[in-house]
Amino acid sequence: MAGRRPLEGIRVTDFTWIGAGSFATKMLADAGADVIKIESSERLDSLRVAPPFKDKIKGVNRSGYFSDRNTSKRSFALNLKNPRSRDIVLKLVEKSDVVANNFTPGVMERLGLDYASIREVKPDIVYLSMSMQGSTGPHSRYLGYGLTIGALSGLHHLSGLPDRLPAGTGTNYPDHMPNPCHAVFAVLAALRHRRRTGEGQYIDIAQTEPTIALLAPAVLDYTVNGRVATRSGNDRPGVAPHGVYPVAGSDRWIAIAVTDDRQWAALVNVLGQPDWARSDRWSTAADRYRDRSDLDRLLGQETARRDGEELMSALQSAGVPAGLVRDAADLIDRDPQLAHRGHWVKLNHAEMGETIYNAPPYRFSKSRVELRTPAPLLGEHTREVLQELLGIGAEEGEALIREGVLV
Amino acid sequence: MSRALAGLRVLDLSGPLGNYCGKLFGDLGADVILIEPPEGTALRREPPFVDDKVDIEASLPFAYANTSKRGIVLDLEQERDREVFRRLADTADLVIETFRPGTMSAWGLDYATLSARNPRLVMTSITPFGQTGPYAQYVAEDIIGMAMGGLLYLGGYPDTPPITSYGNQAYAAANLYGATASMMALLAAEQTGTGEHVDVSMQESVVMALETAAQFYDLEGTVKKRWGGKQRHAGTGVFPCKDGYIYFMAGGVGGNRFWRLSCDWFEEEGVPGAEQFREERWFTHEFLGTDEAKKIFADIFIPFARRYTMEELYRKGQEKHVPIAPVSTPADLLTNPQLRHRGFFTEMTHPLRAEPFLAPGAPYQLSTTPWAIARPAPKLGEHTAEVLAELDLHAGGRPAAGAGVR
Repeated sequence: MAGRRPLEGIRVTDFTWIGAGSFATKMLADAGADVIKIESSERLDSLRVAPPFKDKIKGVNRSGYFSDRNTSKRSFALNLKNPRSRDIVLKLVEKSDVVANNFTPGVMERLGLDYASIREVKPDIVYLSMSMQGSTGPHSRYLGYGLTIGALSGLHHLSGLPDRLPAGTGTNYPDHMPNPCHAVFAVLAALRHRRRTGEGQYIDIAQTEPTIALLAPAVLDYTVNGRVATRSGNDRPGVAPHGVYPVAGSDRWIAIAVTDDRQWAALVNVLGQPDWARSDRWSTAADRYRDRSDLDRLLGQETARRDGEELMSALQSAGVPAGLVRDAADLIDRDPQLAHRGHWVKLNHAEMGETIYNAPPYRFSKSRVELRTPAPLLGEHTREVLQELLGIGAEEGEALIREGVLV
Repeated sequence: MSRALAGLRVLDLSGPLGNYCGKLFGDLGADVILIEPPEGTALRREPPFVDDKVDIEASLPFAYANTSKRGIVLDLEQERDREVFRRLADTADLVIETFRPGTMSAWGLDYATLSARNPRLVMTSITPFGQTGPYAQYVAEDIIGMAMGGLLYLGGYPDTPPITSYGNQAYAAANLYGATASMMALLAAEQTGTGEHVDVSMQESVVMALETAAQFYDLEGTVKKRWGGKQRHAGTGVFPCKDGYIYFMAGGVGGNRFWRLSCDWFEEEGVPGAEQFREERWFTHEFLGTDEAKKIFADIFIPFARRYTMEELYRKGQEKHVPIAPVSTPADLLTNPQLRHRGFFTEMTHPLRAEPFLAPGAPYQLSTTPWAIARPAPKLGEHTAEVLAELDLHAGGRPAAGAGVR
């Protein structure tokens, strides 16, 4: 990978913190943008003190959660509450292409760093705002995390078993995929427009909305068919077997999805043609789906005796969609495909030492898109940015640190 | 109206792994041409259907993921149509394809061939496991991507098998990472004049969504498991209320002010027993993770929560600045005052419905180059003649659009 970085020459003044925002700007940074994270020991990015910690020792430079979401960035320590900070930010903004934040609306306004103010010093700025609820409206000041966004957007209600409490994804899912990816797409589209016309713009994302966009079938089932969808486990309408089945070992499972009669025949073959499976009872998809609870039970008894890796391999060789339910240890230690793709990257962090990071999930044949550096220490690049971009010399810089501005 | 992606032509050869990716381009103004085989893309078979009528023109997931596209039919098993595709690719900026690795190459439509004719072309291949490697030829549905990407293991309840998430989220992850990577490559291609091939793996895209599972294993040696239906730690989870469920994160994530604010809220409401939450042990991750803490929290909070509706708890809690939200149903979304204020739901039309209906709208509001649906999803082959005419090709001698289907 000797190529050019696709976002080379793009600079981001980055006020994002916690989950979705930091993930979005990390994607830009890994693609070559110079992302300068504005943060302060006076008001920590709370992900810096979110577990897990290296050696379970808490510290602002020791969180694995923070590290994975802040690769390739520079950290510039700045106490935004200090009145002298604004001028420093504006100098940086003048040299930036994008300003990003995911604060609750009102925060950037109070700091005098809202879109209107920024545009005065940098008319063609691409200004990304990604609050939980969007910049205006009756709930615009409401706050939350990925898990509450998952609940508010319908994802939580729709995931789990119908007769149990909603289960959701088990994670702050909207932070990890729908929101950062949609935000990055919008920013890149706006950068393209700017390149062609010289015009910047304001991008307003409400973090509920990209997740709802991914739940469109449930919304449309309601607005078109009047049906309020609810959670249905691993069921997929009309498709059986479809679900998760036990394999040998403790809490080990295989996912199997049989989408046509040929795959059903292949599955039966791989299982060695057991008597129950040869019955006419299962010959059509409609039959299999109708009696799926029996089918799931019988199939589970069959799979439970088998080694998962061998079964997956045999089913895949026969053209049956099957995959083991991997846990984190499997993915890191035992998944040959992720190893082949070099998904897990070890980076040497100044305080944490060598730890693993996710590589971006895409490979470019020419461009360089990669983790350039581990997450920065808090304020690691303050002096560098002062000298390189703001023309503030060492002496003045030290004074600003002493006086509680650059902290 | 100014469109951010005006002037880009995108050829969408995909199905469930790429149609939403194509939609993102179309809704921001690119000229997206959906290219389907004679039997239509697989997404046309995905329920729910309009009026539950199983028909390739009635799939709602298809209608949603293919707005703002024109649609043509090409039978890439036939050399004649492959040549049409090559001619079309000469005019394109981006090809999105989701065939099994090796398929495009067997057809003579691989990136090397297409880029030799059109050097600025970007081709994005979105597949279950990527273009090469031991699993490259594995077949996968969404649930297989969820399983092999590790997210399935985190879903469901401690006493059940793992349970997947609603809405084909593995496909969604592949689509979205495919879209962001495509935009990066296109920006580069527009600057350098040279495109490239982008290889996106659904499995890897799902792995991105594991939150801290990989880091917990790497840094602490612990393997995260599913915890649905339980409190993740005391104060975080689903709780029943008068008319449904709410999601509460009394302690937030990491170091913050939320536990204290939650205490203030309980005190003001006079919640019996809540004064103990100010004791020091409630401010430690260690204690919040214990069954004892979870039980005490539930015993104190649930009787309070049951007195109020989702809406009341949402409003009361948010007024005290604590992270709480209703567990919305799809019907609740349509009446959500915030989403209504933003005009998030947009009118969509469908040939099988006389009246327009509401659908999720702009996932991002761009002030200068707004998101907009340019046209409803195409019927199978709806624009075949139009697109071929633009290429100075004629439909004559080719099968009529959609002929023999159904």
